Amino acid sequence: MEKKVIIELSHVTKKFDDDIIVNDLSLQIFENEFITLLGPSGCGKTTTLRMIGGFEKANSGDIIINGKIFNELPPYARPINTVFQSYALFPHLNVVDNVAFGLNNRPMSYLLHFFGEEKIINEIKLETKSETVSKKQIKQKVNEKIYLASKEALQMVSLKGFETRKITQLSGGQQQRVALARAIVNKPQILLLDEPLAALDLKLRQNMQYELKEMQRKLGITFIFVTHDQEEAMTMSDRIVVMKNGLIEQMGTPKHIYNEPVNRYVANFIGESNIIRGTYVKKDLVNFMGVDFECTGYKFANKEVVDVVIRPEDFDVVSLEVAKLKGIVTSSIFKGVHNELTVLVDGVELMVNTYETYQVGEPIGLKVDPYEIHLMKVTANEQ
Amino acid sequence: MNNKSFRNLAKPYVYWLYLLALLPVFVMVFLAFVKSEGIAFDEMGFSLESFALLTEPSTIVAFRNSFFYAFVSTVFSLVIGYFVAYRIFKSKFNNKFLVLTMLILPMWSNLLLRTEALGNIMEHNNILTDLLSRTGITLSIGIKGTPLAVLIGLVFTYLPFAILPIYTALEKISYSLEEAALDLGLTETKKFWKVIFPLSLKGVVSAAILVFLPSLSGFAIPQILGKGNIVLIGNVIEESFRNMNYNFGSLLSIIILVFILGSILIISKTDKEGETLL
Repeated sequence: MEKKVIIELSHVTKKFDDDIIVNDLSLQIFENEFITLLGPSGCGKTTTLRMIGGFEKANSGDIIINGKIFNELPPYARPINTVFQSYALFPHLNVVDNVAFGLNNRPMSYLLHFFGEEKIINEIKLETKSETVSKKQIKQKVNEKIYLASKEALQMVSLKGFETRKITQLSGGQQQRVALARAIVNKPQILLLDEPLAALDLKLRQNMQYELKEMQRKLGITFIFVTHDQEEAMTMSDRIVVMKNGLIEQMGTPKHIYNEPVNRYVANFIGESNIIRGTYVKKDLVNFMGVDFECTGYKFANKEVVDVVIRPEDFDVVSLEVAKLKGIVTSSIFKGVHNELTVLVDGVELMVNTYETYQVGEPIGLKVDPYEIHLMKVTANEQ
Repeated sequence: MNNKSFRNLAKPYVYWLYLLALLPVFVMVFLAFVKSEGIAFDEMGFSLESFALLTEPSTIVAFRNSFFYAFVSTVFSLVIGYFVAYRIFKSKFNNKFLVLTMLILPMWSNLLLRTEALGNIMEHNNILTDLLSRTGITLSIGIKGTPLAVLIGLVFTYLPFAILPIYTALEKISYSLEEAALDLGLTETKKFWKVIFPLSLKGVVSAAILVFLPSLSGFAIPQILGKGNIVLIGNVIEESFRNMNYNFGSLLSIIILVFILGSILIISKTDKEGETLL
């Protein structure tokens, strides 16, 4: 099935004064997708999001939503809602009024379209058992509908019964949920989330990650999520866009990015990894740390210098006789499910995850399966 | 140094406050219920004569005038003050406080001097008309002594008191709230009325009280700019004390004091920061 592009950024560049924040960025986002812009602070991910939301104007390039160029349209004319990092809840309104705020301030014509004019008129006729429907009745009905929808949205974020609370009486997690409800009640086509979980504690954050993913599936809304937390990105996203200095470094499914990072930057950013300089000897054979390893599926020039990525969990601890690499455990940290070892091999520290327990100072042997070895081109500025 | 030594440091001021602020208030309350010549104890006796004076037409007119001028000058100050505060709030100046300081600058010169100067240019033949006539423009307005002059004087004097609290309230509104409003589909105008204005109301309440109170109780501005044609309650108080009728003056002062205390109560309920401005 061909996926439908809902929003496209085409050669978008944004400068603040002379600093290029987003550099010629092109990106297609599909309907119903959960896409994450991932990168350290200052990589341009939030600016990209703000351009989509209409809070910043791109210096050049186009933002195309549903096939139409949206560059000049103000935020209120876009089928987009945002969950802000600071939540930005209105302190002068209670919870339900915050959620209803967007709909409450739309013109009647918009609301009639939003709720279905026919439906509203029919409902009133049914209730009053009369054929004539006054404007006042419609207004009343629409108002009822707004509050019904707001309550439903609150229920969806498990905040039922909090309707009349003041914003200041809510915890951070609850405020975050209100912000979410306030956005989804408007049924946007695209929901922008700007590090909405950053201020929450670990447990709550993990819960919210699952809930967000679940909500996205249920609502069928495109979520564009911005975070610097790679774990968060991995858990929720259909696709991850790794950014650096306003450029896209790599784009793909979490699995793809984790298993096949294109360069040192991405490999370092996504999960823990050992990155070792090596040489591509010939087809399916790579040499690093003075040992030849079999590998599969990479094409480089013979004798080309490459970066070898091995994830800590991909090392197998084996007996010293069959080991390809021998080293001494210099630290061992118990992480719950596994132990995180640091193994000193020929003066290079390798990170190794294993289920077994090893003592510090113990010599151990390591082995890697050919398909666990990932090779990357060495980019010019890293050599 | 421990807390106790710090408390000792405050003592001189506390005694000062008891002696020169609290005690006189009780004296005024006492004076309101007696009849005396100044504060002379001879021939002093309990009397409600001052209360009878309250119902005199001249007193009632003074009260009515006071409330009217205070109300109108408050409304003007709020409207103008809001525009100015909002303009500064929205401007991209790096040093907004410099702009605010410039607005407050006139307050640093003496009130009487300022009012006299204002009164001077409200009369025919003043330095401005003289300068203008040299450039060929003949312009002469003589409004001194009219209600308009008093109103202009009040607004001119107390406008900074309106700008500051409104500006402070506006500055506290997080920009993300404005973005959220736009994001939720509000136009710029709606955003102002639904988000910015309600959130700045605290400042408006503070501003209203800060303008209303001095306008209500002051006597210099109506005296100078009204040329004695317009009598506010402050003028009646001043006159009473000058004519040695301390009893009536005290009573009126206490009535004004009650208004002020009530206003402070309102501010403390609505705007915690506004309190410090009083």
